Amino acid sequence: MANGFFTDTTLCIGCKACEVACKQWNELPSDGLAFTGMSYDNTLRLSGTTWRHVAFVEDREVGTTIVNRWSMMSDVCKHCTHAGCMEACPTGAIIRNEFGDVYIQPDVCNGCGYCVPSCPFGVVDLIEPFKPSAAKAAEYNTATLDRERLSEGALQSHGGIAGKCTLCYDRQRLGFTPACAKACPTESIQFGNVDDLKARARKRVERLRERGVDAQLYGVDETTSVGDLNAFFLLTQPPEHYNLPARPVLPSTHQPAGYAAAALAAAALAVAGLAIFRGR
Amino acid sequence: MLAHPPSPDDAFTGAAGRRDNEPGPSYFEQPLLKRPHWGWNVIAYLFLGGIMGGTGLITMLAGRSSIPADRRLSRTAKFASLALAAINPPLLISHLGRPERFLNMLRIVKFKSPMSLGVWGLVLYSGAAGGNVLYELAEMRVAPRWLRIFAPPVLEPLQALLGAFTAGYTGVLISATAIPLWAKGKRHIPALSVCSGLAGACALNTILAIVSGNDEPVERLERLEAVAALAELTLLADFRRHAGALGKPMFEGKRGRRLRDFTAIGGIAIPLLLNVMGAVLPMPKSLRNARSVAASALTLLGGYVLRETFIEAGKTSAGDPHAAFRQPE
Repeated sequence: MANGFFTDTTLCIGCKACEVACKQWNELPSDGLAFTGMSYDNTLRLSGTTWRHVAFVEDREVGTTIVNRWSMMSDVCKHCTHAGCMEACPTGAIIRNEFGDVYIQPDVCNGCGYCVPSCPFGVVDLIEPFKPSAAKAAEYNTATLDRERLSEGALQSHGGIAGKCTLCYDRQRLGFTPACAKACPTESIQFGNVDDLKARARKRVERLRERGVDAQLYGVDETTSVGDLNAFFLLTQPPEHYNLPARPVLPSTHQPAGYAAAALAAAALAVAGLAIFRGR
Repeated sequence: MLAHPPSPDDAFTGAAGRRDNEPGPSYFEQPLLKRPHWGWNVIAYLFLGGIMGGTGLITMLAGRSSIPADRRLSRTAKFASLALAAINPPLLISHLGRPERFLNMLRIVKFKSPMSLGVWGLVLYSGAAGGNVLYELAEMRVAPRWLRIFAPPVLEPLQALLGAFTAGYTGVLISATAIPLWAKGKRHIPALSVCSGLAGACALNTILAIVSGNDEPVERLERLEAVAALAELTLLADFRRHAGALGKPMFEGKRGRRLRDFTAIGGIAIPLLLNVMGAVLPMPKSLRNARSVAASALTLLGGYVLRETFIEAGKTSAGDPHAAFRQPE
């Protein structure tokens, strides 16, 4: 039975504790200090070194009524039932682990980058190759264990490979809850057995609808080629508002048509070539 | 802006970042998908890998002919195949984030991953090309004649088959992704890769034949190239129609003009015209050969620009959230 996340956006307060907890536990470098002006979102997207991302959808008006409504969503790798990244990976570095989650083995990945365009959710990305300046490199040999060194030390082993949420594989193995779910103060992020989470989520949707909230589950009972998501969401707005595709497509479904077209073209040209080089 | 039919989502207004002239809801117009990281080395591989595959086909076609000049062409093509098979792995390895781990590609054979199959195709192709070169060296008495046992007769058609695969799989590889432009081209891009690969291979072998003083088969190579190039042009035009708004990054703007000038006109139409001129007009041999070399060089340039356009337009396509929200099935 797979473990996963149920992220309930109606409970999210946008505190970003999940982002911070994820960065700390996984020794991921900061995204720098930037001001985007896009609500309170200054990281904007998941990346090779940002594995939780809180989206801020700040509504100004709904229809003709001006309301002051917030909608925050902590985005994460979906750990798909049929994972595009895992199918694309030519080295077998991306596996489904014993907890049913999609995991990149950092010591196997060689950074070919094929998983990056193969994710229909745009989650996984390559981490910049680690190239410290000579002065920095010397510092690493002598410096004390400060926080920067720790996180850049992690980059040293992860530079140049693909990175995404591991669903805290290491913590799960120790029997701990993943860092983001543990840190979430409102239980907007819930961790557990996916079937249990789904049952809980359906009840939650029912209760919200009774109260007049237009709630829907994203990644549950899906009919898409990607299938259900081990990390699924409760949304109150159309998926696109949170930068989620309404109907994700598993890229490998394009392969049969592609191979057939290539074979047809090759066969036709070979026949033409045999006629031309027939000899006399 | 892309034109989209109104969706039920459009009834909802007022999401953050949404402006009146935008084609649908999005998250601050942020890209949904990540851009592929592939640069010049992957583009060069798509180009040279296609030529390598096409050259494998020429090896067999010319090798089966009863004309001695064709068999000489087949020999040249075998040497060219092996040379290309030697150039391609360094190109592929150099694009890896961890090049020292390139052998991890050979840990497994994965039928679901076109990249895995492609690597194995490349390995097997290199083996077949090596065997066929060994055979030719033995025939030329450069190497001991008994070495021919390493090149059974089946090796020639095998190299052609593997060549067709290596020329085509790159198209399957890029179209089996979530990038809207590439996914939309799931039939066109693989077929284009094969046609452009064979046209490029004809061009390269034309040049090699003329340089090696074996210009008799050039006329046949040019006829095969014309067939491949015409198919390529037809597929390009059909892809443009089929892709519609999703094809904008490839067919419009600066990149669209570059594709038109260097591939459609410079890489296909002008070489075709030059080939027809060569077949119809009487001209001295030196002029005829100069014309062939010029047409071939233009074909090769057009083939490179086509691959460059695929990759670069794919990056632009990945950056358009509205295209990515409507992922082609």
